[in-house]
Amino acid sequence: MAKRLMPKKQLEGVGLTLTGACVLLVALVVITLIFMVAQQGLSAFFVDGINFFSFISGTSWVPSDGVYGALPLIVTSFGVMLLATLFTLPIALGSAIFVVEVQPGFGRRVFQPLVELLMGIPSVVYGLIGLTVVNAAMRAIFGDAAGTGAGILSGGIVLAVMILPTVTTLSIDGLAAVPNEYREGSYALGCTRWQTVWHVVLRSAMPSLMTAVILGMTRAFGEALAVQMVIGGVEKVMPAGLLSPAATLTTALTSGFSNATTGSIQYHALWALGLLLMAMSLVFILIIHVIGAKGAKNRD
Amino acid sequence: MSDSLSRRSFLSLAGGTAVVLAGLGLVGCGGSSSSDTSSDSTAKALSGTVNCSGATSFQPLVEAAAKKFEDENPDVTIAITGGGSGQGLSDVRDGKAQIGRSDVFAEEKLDASDAKALTDNTVCVVGMGPIVNSNVDVDDLTTDQLKGIFTGKITDWSEVGGTAGKIQVIERKAGSGTRATFEAAVLGGESAPADFAPVAEEDSSGTVVEKIQQTEGAISYLAFSYFDDTKFKALKVDGVEARAENVCNGSFKIWAYEHMYTKDADEVTQAFIDYMMSDEVQGSMVEEQGFIPANDMKVKKDASGTITNA
Repeated sequence: MAKRLMPKKQLEGVGLTLTGACVLLVALVVITLIFMVAQQGLSAFFVDGINFFSFISGTSWVPSDGVYGALPLIVTSFGVMLLATLFTLPIALGSAIFVVEVQPGFGRRVFQPLVELLMGIPSVVYGLIGLTVVNAAMRAIFGDAAGTGAGILSGGIVLAVMILPTVTTLSIDGLAAVPNEYREGSYALGCTRWQTVWHVVLRSAMPSLMTAVILGMTRAFGEALAVQMVIGGVEKVMPAGLLSPAATLTTALTSGFSNATTGSIQYHALWALGLLLMAMSLVFILIIHVIGAKGAKNRD
Repeated sequence: MSDSLSRRSFLSLAGGTAVVLAGLGLVGCGGSSSSDTSSDSTAKALSGTVNCSGATSFQPLVEAAAKKFEDENPDVTIAITGGGSGQGLSDVRDGKAQIGRSDVFAEEKLDASDAKALTDNTVCVVGMGPIVNSNVDVDDLTTDQLKGIFTGKITDWSEVGGTAGKIQVIERKAGSGTRATFEAAVLGGESAPADFAPVAEEDSSGTVVEKIQQTEGAISYLAFSYFDDTKFKALKVDGVEARAENVCNGSFKIWAYEHMYTKDADEVTQAFIDYMMSDEVQGSMVEEQGFIPANDMKVKKDASGTITNA
């Protein structure tokens, strides 16, 4: 055996310091980020005197006139997120069942890499496709009612495609993690494949499936670029329906910053939107943790 | 990062002339260079970095000019970034950039005292006009009709002499310089009612081009430099064609200055601004890029939008 470079004890120390430093660095970055966003965002309320409740419940966002009501943005953000999930979930779940339970060979070798390919496509490409294809389709289907074709529905459709790989891949992993004994037990009782999938596999994979959905939702909630290109960007009124052009929290942020001068009320209001977004993602993360903990308990 | 930058700037200082490198946050030794500045600036080589951020509308023009300027002054680097008018104005106010490009007067975006500290260089004028989808059979609108359309009072093309069909209003984002200019000239200080929403508010002129082509009955507005008869139709306003010479003589009212704001400009920055205002840029380049040379204007506009004879 080669000569030891240092005593074992010392090696332990080095390891501890190195890994500890990594943890410390990450923690520091997170704390700094939160502090910065909070500081800038909260100054909209405490320095510029925007009322928090009118900020949350106001139905019009017109920074140039000093009107800051984020409700249309919040509603739209949740709207496109739920729509996207609604479109994606059945497809993701269906293909996950196919890949794990029906045709594992083809699924693993062909389908899964195909879906993962979707994940590597940059947002702007989705946005461009949405702009030319989805918006045009909306106009072709709904005519004048769809305006330029840009709206919540278009946003939801584009997002659905974008979160599809996340939800599908995680669902596949979730289903695959169900121990084979469960299936064998079910078959031994005389259950059909469908009964096994529905009553045994899906049930016991539920926590991982929920996590897949929520991670997909988080991505949909936070996506800016692609949505911005297809949703129309109208911030001043509450969206009236699925075809209404609207703006999400993220699109209002990205398009607003270029016109805001640093330190202005508008600038702080945009940071406040960022703070709101961060708070929402925190909620999502908490939900994932709660589900994870519950799932772990059930399995014991 | 800043370490290596200042080292590089130190080298360039040592290598040649004493100039102010404000772009790197360094203030050159003003005392020792005072003897240099008295000599003719064309006689000695300029060197240094100029950061120029802000409005994207006339960025291509500035980029083209900067390239030529750098060719003539090899030791000068002009770093051009986008970010929008708001960013440009904050950057020059905070000293992050020597030049801040803006479509709007600084007075409209910054505190009065901050705006006062900046020097306004209006390098060119941009004309903007209403445009419609090619299938719209209206060629001419009065200012009042335009106002009606963009405030939601007129909603059908038949009301302004066209074939019946819904008018789809596409706006630029609130806060965009193009929109501010259009609204100042057309709405005349009024703003659209709170319940009127356009069918889209686009972030960029490029998307407007895309949307106006695709959308039946759409109307929007663009800078002349984006005009393209094969893609959409530009309208006359009050019978006046949207063309550069009509802007110059004051008959076409929708236009704005493209500003390059500086704050206590150093030698290199001033040299670049002077270059932008020189015949070399104003003579041909400005028009090639679809803008109107500031020197050709027979009328002028102040920050509050009042037009007077120059």
